[in-house]
Amino acid sequence: MTSRLLVVRAAIVGVLLVFAVIALLVGGSGRALAPPRLRRADTTRAAPARAVPTRRSARLGGFGTPRLAVTEFADVYINWSYSNVAARLTALAEASVGQARSAMQLAAAQVSADSTLRGGGIANNGTVEAVAPVVGHPDEWAVVTLEQTTASDSSAYDGLAPAWHVTVASVRREPGGGWVVSGWQPES
Amino acid sequence: MSGRSQHSGQTLVAVVGLAAMLGLGVLVTGFSMLGGLTGQALADCDSGLSAGSVAIALQSPGGGATVGASEYGGSGDPSSGTVGSSGVNLDSSPDSYAELGGTTFATADALGGLAYGTPLRITWGKHSAIAYKRDIGLGGGPIDGYPRVVDLWWEFARALGIPYQDGEWSGVVKVERPPSTGAGNTLGQTRLAEDPSGGRNAVACAASVGGPLPVTNGPRAVIEPNDLAAAPVDAPVAVKGIIAAGNEIVGKPYVYGGGHGLPLSEVAPSYDCSSSVAHLLWGGGLLPVDTDMTAEEFESWGLSGPGKWVTLYASSNHVFMYIAGIRWDTHNAAGAADGSSGIGWHPLVREDSGFVARHPVGL
Repeated sequence: MTSRLLVVRAAIVGVLLVFAVIALLVGGSGRALAPPRLRRADTTRAAPARAVPTRRSARLGGFGTPRLAVTEFADVYINWSYSNVAARLTALAEASVGQARSAMQLAAAQVSADSTLRGGGIANNGTVEAVAPVVGHPDEWAVVTLEQTTASDSSAYDGLAPAWHVTVASVRREPGGGWVVSGWQPES
Repeated sequence: MSGRSQHSGQTLVAVVGLAAMLGLGVLVTGFSMLGGLTGQALADCDSGLSAGSVAIALQSPGGGATVGASEYGGSGDPSSGTVGSSGVNLDSSPDSYAELGGTTFATADALGGLAYGTPLRITWGKHSAIAYKRDIGLGGGPIDGYPRVVDLWWEFARALGIPYQDGEWSGVVKVERPPSTGAGNTLGQTRLAEDPSGGRNAVACAASVGGPLPVTNGPRAVIEPNDLAAAPVDAPVAVKGIIAAGNEIVGKPYVYGGGHGLPLSEVAPSYDCSSSVAHLLWGGGLLPVDTDMTAEEFESWGLSGPGKWVTLYASSNHVFMYIAGIRWDTHNAAGAADGSSGIGWHPLVREDSGFVARHPVGL
């Protein structure tokens, strides 16, 4: 083996090591050290364009799995602006049952009379990052979201990074066999 | 350095440093083998991984309470290290601050004992920015007459325009809790929304003291016919904890010196003004359990002026306070319509000349 070949092989090994280290530094530590950031597609998601679960869908049997019911509910709950939040909460109420339905109805009524949301131009956007069953509670699911609240007519939220939030959701199987959200308790 | 406590991050620092050296060594080896990169390129690569890679977005000046602040960290203050007591590498998260007041998380409560990760809008001069609690520190004496409550990580201070003085800078800033974010908080549905104490004591207290805490949908607390108070449903948990602790001792007999010398978590047979106020503030997670203060000492507690939710009025002879619009006092000082005659909740505003108004940070 010539010394030239040895140099080339050493160079190749060096390149591989460099890429491995860069991948470790960027991929391995970036998520833990850097502030969480919303993916671009998520931050620009237009809340009004999202499909809203309807009472019809719930009454016709809901969703095929508990996870899907919770995920769809959460996605609508965290993506709204001051101009459509009441309508979206009403839609969530119609698509849910039990405590979740009552909570959404109450929230819809409250935001309709809340001048702070409209006056500040407040919007909330986020992504559903995880939906997992709660150990020991077969009908409960822990929902982890990454959300950012903004205000177009106020500086109150300026500079705040997206933050993690946890909600405990309950689901119920409807007579038609589908799953609907029956409880919704944001914990943070 | 500003009296900041040492913390247990040295091992982590060593591991991170060793890993960084190994990684850099491999990088140098690989690049040297290729023979294609200059020292400048290596320097660029390194700077991309070092402090300052996280941008701190400056905002227009904010409001809030005026407090004393100092800076720490950086090349002129190596003893402060680079890992906060929260375990976070501050070089990688330069938008950080340390809450001062003690050597442990429980005692470093100059801002009320905020949870790690709590954002604060900090204003110095014409700029403000958001910083997150990732450390605690010992602190020191007042700065220009204001209590020293916060240590700013040197890069955050620099971003605000504060000149770096090797960790020796101190001055006055404004601190303000930004609103809670997320749909649950914004829509008022979160169980633990707006908890400036980090839920340290308030949650347990509010949940356990005197049975379930009555709540009201209005913005102000309400005195119920049984002389207990109902807290606004949207009040911060610390406020609910204060009210719950108050309900626990409503109607206790007034005895001068009563309640002093006992842990604040205990219900004493009797109270005076300062011991009862201390019990309530403990309930809100705003005082350590072994605190024993006189009325006069409350004259310099917390921050100057009235608060949004909680305002104490203290003098050398007496202390009372307002919580969510109702008054905690040891007698019906505003007359016969001022509720019960003894220790408890009172609906009316009373004379406060001769008293100093104080409030807890964030409330």
